[in-house]
Amino acid sequence: MVNALSCLLKKKVTEDPIALDEDIERIGREINRAVGEVFGRSIAIRELDTGSDNATEIEINNLNNPYYDVERFGITFVASPRHADVLMVTGAVTHNMAIAAKKTYEAMPSPKFVVAVGDDACNGGIFAGTYAVLGGADMLFPVDLKIPGNPPTPKEILAGLLALMRQARSDQ
Amino acid sequence: MKYVKKLVGSGELAQRITMGHNGEYYLEVREEEFIPLTATLATRKCVLIGLFCAEGFSPVARFSLFSVFEKKSAVLIVIRHTGRRAASVAGTFPAASWFERECRDGFGIEFPDAFDTRRLFLHESYPSGFHPLEKSFRNGKIETVQSVDAEEEYPFRPVHGEGVYQVPVGPVHAGIIEPGHFRFSVIGETIFNLEIRMFYKHRGIEKLAEGRVPQNCIVVAEAVSGDESVANATGFCLAVEKIAQVPAPDRAWYLRTILLELERICSHLGDQAGMLIDVAFPLGAGQFAVLREDIFRMNASLTDSRFMRGMVVAGGVAKDLRKEQLAELGKFIARFRKRYRVGLKIVLSTTSVLDRFATTGTIRRGLLRPLCITGPAARASGGKVDVRSDHPYGIYGIFPPDNTILHDGDVLSRFTVKASEIMDSLELLEQLLETIPDGPVKAEVPVQDGYAISLVESARGQNLCWIWIRNGKIERYKVRTASFCNWQAIEHAVLGNIVPDFPVINKSLNLSYAGTDL
Repeated sequence: MVNALSCLLKKKVTEDPIALDEDIERIGREINRAVGEVFGRSIAIRELDTGSDNATEIEINNLNNPYYDVERFGITFVASPRHADVLMVTGAVTHNMAIAAKKTYEAMPSPKFVVAVGDDACNGGIFAGTYAVLGGADMLFPVDLKIPGNPPTPKEILAGLLALMRQARSDQ
Repeated sequence: MKYVKKLVGSGELAQRITMGHNGEYYLEVREEEFIPLTATLATRKCVLIGLFCAEGFSPVARFSLFSVFEKKSAVLIVIRHTGRRAASVAGTFPAASWFERECRDGFGIEFPDAFDTRRLFLHESYPSGFHPLEKSFRNGKIETVQSVDAEEEYPFRPVHGEGVYQVPVGPVHAGIIEPGHFRFSVIGETIFNLEIRMFYKHRGIEKLAEGRVPQNCIVVAEAVSGDESVANATGFCLAVEKIAQVPAPDRAWYLRTILLELERICSHLGDQAGMLIDVAFPLGAGQFAVLREDIFRMNASLTDSRFMRGMVVAGGVAKDLRKEQLAELGKFIARFRKRYRVGLKIVLSTTSVLDRFATTGTIRRGLLRPLCITGPAARASGGKVDVRSDHPYGIYGIFPPDNTILHDGDVLSRFTVKASEIMDSLELLEQLLETIPDGPVKAEVPVQDGYAISLVESARGQNLCWIWIRNGKIERYKVRTASFCNWQAIEHAVLGNIVPDFPVINKSLNLSYAGTDL
């Protein structure tokens, strides 16, 4: 019988990772170093969906799966904007989400950074100029970095975070 | 035809039924004939699977309301032409409540006798009298309401009683998840009532589709819900093909079916991992999360997109898959199955998980028909519904799913049904890889005017799509995902449960916010 305890005591039930993705490891190490220099030990990210098609959420979620496991690079996703250094926005900003999105941003302590993830959050994407959306995240608050893609892959999001860290470091 | 005529009852109405492109039946009725007809259909145990509006469909009246009824394999679309007022059927078919509120917001049609006449997808920031789907409104920036008075705020159903207090949750939630608002009324820890408010992500999908040529509309269909990209693109393309009466070639359907089943596996794995996270069992969740990432990578190697976007096009698929790619997929499936079994064994032999899953979030079978609940959520509550066997499309007629039907309707049943569907999909994939024929993967589909309905089984259940093409352009694109109806089940599923069990109940239903809010 296999149960949680026997998984710990007996032989491993999962195989080792088939192949380590060298790019991910390299980007991760660099992020880790930059995070250490700019933020102390780790950065806290609050994810905010303002009208995405949920593909971007899935990719951001995937950053936490064992393949990427970004927490080991000093990146944590937090439950409250009050704990966050970075706001990660996905989707075009809909009218129905505008107030909640603004409140989320205002609840964050300064200094704060905003990253727009995905085409829709960058500039409204296919929804730009339509009745239901304001446009990209920058229609609501200043955006420090845009990561385009429909949706961007976890690796691209990670590379974007590295760019943000470098930007923050050079602004110091 | 005989069967459908019998549903309507004998008499003059039955004679007026006509057949549509996709085996569906149409029946035009006058407003005063409609309510008695719905009463008949209700006694014959039909399900109202959609109710939507189109403007300018008939010279008789400005608006036409389409009510789509389903009984087993029969689909009957009842059309009534109307002005700004129509009779509500929400009393007989509760699923109609959201449908009618959607028509009210979109087109300004009032249903004065409905039990709920509140706004649906137009929240307070939209000015009164604004109805985006009216043809007179050209899609573009609008002036929104900047401040809302307290009395104009959305009125939640009041719940009173000794010791009842409210827990408002959302729209911004604690996790990496889409926005929606949940208003719990709680006694102690037990949920006494839940009212959900959705549509925070309303981004005008249906209006956005209008005026586009069909091929430019597939990106819109894919944007309905990211993890249902293939299902919604297939639904859209199927309707376009039905209108033109050009079927996609066999090989294209084999490839589409491969993508559809990969999407189903991917979605179910995400739910299973999420359910385990929500009962604090990351060891099990990790197993499924790894397998899911493997599928995403397989998707990317097959189609260059982790969500398999851009593959399904009108007439077939955008590109063929090479022999080596299909062989690689075959090997992948064999490895996958073994590892999936290991994960499943770990979970199903962990008593703390089973304890949290069993008897939690029960959906009674009696709710399925009135609320039009479909997909794994229905199949875990004794509902024998699956578009793939009820209304086979493509090659599902040759490969009908062998559904596992469970009856408890709790989180454990939904987890188990999903596990068994993953195993079934793996088997189907292997069969498809063995039997896939050679040949073209795309037929030339001329854009033709007309209208058609299509039904597709996405990972979450039945997705309905109705397309009307006029002058070569999309005149109306109505899409109703399974989530739109299944969301309403959650208000019932949580009753008597404790608030901390809400996340796992929610995840077990795996509802798409984007696919509901449109």
